[in-house]
Amino acid sequence: MADQLPNTPILDELEKGTWPSFVKEIKLAAKNSPMSRDLLGLLEQSYEEKIGHWKHGGIVGVMGYGGGVIGRYSDLPEKYPNVSHFHTIRINQPSGWFYTSEALRTLCDIWDKHGSGLTNMHGSTGDIVFLGCRTEALEPIFSELTEAGFDLGGSGSDVRTPSCCVGPARCEWACYDTLALTYDLTMHYQDELHRPAFPYKFKFKMSGCPNDCVASIARSDMSIIGIWRDDIQINHDEVTKYAEGGMNIQRDVVGNCPGKCMDWDGKELKIENSYCRHCMHCINVMTKALRPGKDRGACVLLGSKAPIVEGALLSSVLIPFWKPKPPYTDLKDMVERMHDVWCEEGKARERIGEFIQRVGLGNFLEECEIDIAPEMVAHPRENPYIFYEEYYEEDDGEEDEDGE
Amino acid sequence: MAERLTDIGPPHYEKFLPPIVKENYGKWLYHEVLKPGVMVHVSESGAKLFTIRAGSPRLISTEKIRNYADLAEKYCGGHLRFTSRHNVEFLLTDEKNIDPLIKDLADLGHPVGGIGNAISSIVHTQGWVHCHSAATDASGVVKAVMDDLNEYFTSTKLPGKLRIALACCLNMCGAVHCSDIAILGIHRRPPKVNHDTLRKMCEIPSVSASCPTAAIRPATVNGNPSVEVLEDRCMFCANCYTVCPSMPLNDPLNDGISIWIGGKVSNARHEPMFSKLAIPFIPNNPPRWPEVTTAIRNIVELWAANANKYERMGEWIERIGWPKFFKMSGIEFQKEHIDDFKHAGLTFKRSTHITF
Amino acid sequence: MAKTAEEIADAMFKMVSDAQGLKKLKPGDLNKLMIQTYPDEVDKKLCKAAIKLLVNNGRCVYTYFGGSFIELPHREGAAND
Repeated sequence: MADQLPNTPILDELEKGTWPSFVKEIKLAAKNSPMSRDLLGLLEQSYEEKIGHWKHGGIVGVMGYGGGVIGRYSDLPEKYPNVSHFHTIRINQPSGWFYTSEALRTLCDIWDKHGSGLTNMHGSTGDIVFLGCRTEALEPIFSELTEAGFDLGGSGSDVRTPSCCVGPARCEWACYDTLALTYDLTMHYQDELHRPAFPYKFKFKMSGCPNDCVASIARSDMSIIGIWRDDIQINHDEVTKYAEGGMNIQRDVVGNCPGKCMDWDGKELKIENSYCRHCMHCINVMTKALRPGKDRGACVLLGSKAPIVEGALLSSVLIPFWKPKPPYTDLKDMVERMHDVWCEEGKARERIGEFIQRVGLGNFLEECEIDIAPEMVAHPRENPYIFYEEYYEEDDGEEDEDGE
Repeated sequence: MAERLTDIGPPHYEKFLPPIVKENYGKWLYHEVLKPGVMVHVSESGAKLFTIRAGSPRLISTEKIRNYADLAEKYCGGHLRFTSRHNVEFLLTDEKNIDPLIKDLADLGHPVGGIGNAISSIVHTQGWVHCHSAATDASGVVKAVMDDLNEYFTSTKLPGKLRIALACCLNMCGAVHCSDIAILGIHRRPPKVNHDTLRKMCEIPSVSASCPTAAIRPATVNGNPSVEVLEDRCMFCANCYTVCPSMPLNDPLNDGISIWIGGKVSNARHEPMFSKLAIPFIPNNPPRWPEVTTAIRNIVELWAANANKYERMGEWIERIGWPKFFKMSGIEFQKEHIDDFKHAGLTFKRSTHITF
Repeated sequence: MAKTAEEIADAMFKMVSDAQGLKKLKPGDLNKLMIQTYPDEVDKKLCKAAIKLLVNNGRCVYTYFGGSFIELPHREGAAND
């Protein structure tokens, strides 16, 4: 019978165990979706053969957009005709991944009508991911999504869907409004998000504090991480309660401070704030006693990425302390200058971090008119191979560099 | 026909915030973990918000999302959120609802946990479910590993946080390179050039330019323009395959999994660090990858037994030194552990700080 | 004399047509070529508008092969019916 689930003895093994099972999820979807039924068959074959059965499609999309849809075709279309096309749609999530049940049901209705009924909540970049539909379903899905107030996210050489931590919505450590900045940047870069025009992708991730719950320092070209620059707020009574409650403040708090800027004499906790590295450890473990300071803002870092092509990078400091103020024009102007330089000189598939490695951070900053600062380096250079651009001639006389 | 809407962006997040969040936005004072997977945030106003975090396989059906919506309506005024690690979170104002909600989640098959000194859900990619370049499956390996480590999700008995991530190839859609434990699918056979389709589908200069080690050069094959691969220069990154579908590397005999450990993204204590190679290769063994789950459990238990309180995997290994880690774990140190790409010299031991 | 977005879109369309099957052009390539060809008559903004015209009326489409390109609509090698 056509609507019977295929025989999947290998996959069925993954229905067992205590962790929620994706095989059960595919089977739930397969009750109503021939696509998900064929997906089960195809996946069972992959498990038998230890190889995937997908081809990448580089053309499918919705009219006018260059991002948001990832084309997929099965390489066994005769055997599994219902997954002959199995395209992914990325839908821009609301900041902080908050939803109402009503909004979720609307998304489910659209997807049940046109696709496989399978999703990722969420994809790695942060989007809602709809897994598996036919080419001709893309426009109707897009039209119903926009009608419901949702739009597609990024893919390809564009601004990827920005994402952020829960921020001030539910976290006392948020040093700036990550949700507001994420929404603002997402709206500001709608054209760049939907119409790829860069050498390669560009990601923004907003974390409210140095704990970096969205991994922005590892996973985004521009990492905006909350930080403060005045004194950690201390509630001494609560410190005492932690000590009385058995916390080993010397070993577990002071002993773990990377700046060695804390002192505990058994009665009072003292912090030499000018040596504080804002690592968050003491605040993390004494949540009731310590809080970030009141002069809050963000550190802006640039350039992280996964290994492809030239090796993995972590983001490095671009602006040690930035005060985010809507409409964030200072940041947007700076990003535009950086994008211009990168678009002009970047190679295909070269992320901005790799581009900076190639041209030199000093040169990049100069071209983008960004002031240098010692916070940008772990230490000054160790090699003497300095590219001086000018030198004096005998007859330069008293003139200075500008020739005045 | 109605005008085609474009560039409207996502819905404004304020539409979806629960009333208690709107009222206390930016006013939270502190939080406490009440029990595994449950925490309370207390506002300057005295308001209390209880969060229940439940694990999810990330790949979920619309039916499951509707189940979540039902629970949100039953307990949270129709509001819920998801986390950056694919967990689902229910936000309660009434403490009395915590246990009934945990029970309903258990009935749905979703464990509650992942907060504090615990493992959280494994960030991962699509694998054989949906990807053309996967060297292993993603969801299946994650399921097998989490079945094995679930006790560390539903408790807080680990020394510190444990973040595991899986990427099914070096493209790392799930950027795993700064995880306590990274499970990374790798290819080990150079691309098999399909000369017939390459001519039609790909630009030869782009294909050769795509190779970071200059292993691909233009060549004439059977009288037609194509490329050849200098196999001893290939390190199986598959960048050529991303640029040109006629350069597939997928190969059941040679694809498999590598394990990388000791990375972190948080700035707490030690600065963020990359994960380092622990186990170069484990063959794919679906459906439960027992060699992978055993290897990971070995590493997790070794760390749990020996690390100081709050010490992440990488901090612990940095303190004791990698030679000691290899000795304690029984993992054989092999040629593959020694870096030979760019800046490899920076990873050599350049001191006599050696433990015996 | 400033060009209109329509004129630039036409010139871009010709470039894409001439290059089809020989070289995939990135949006950035098109912009650079246009600014080179009409140095005093076009800028980045106009090029952006021209590309939007081209893809909105379906004369061209975005494609992705490890990077994003602008091409004439065509059936791709990987496609199934």
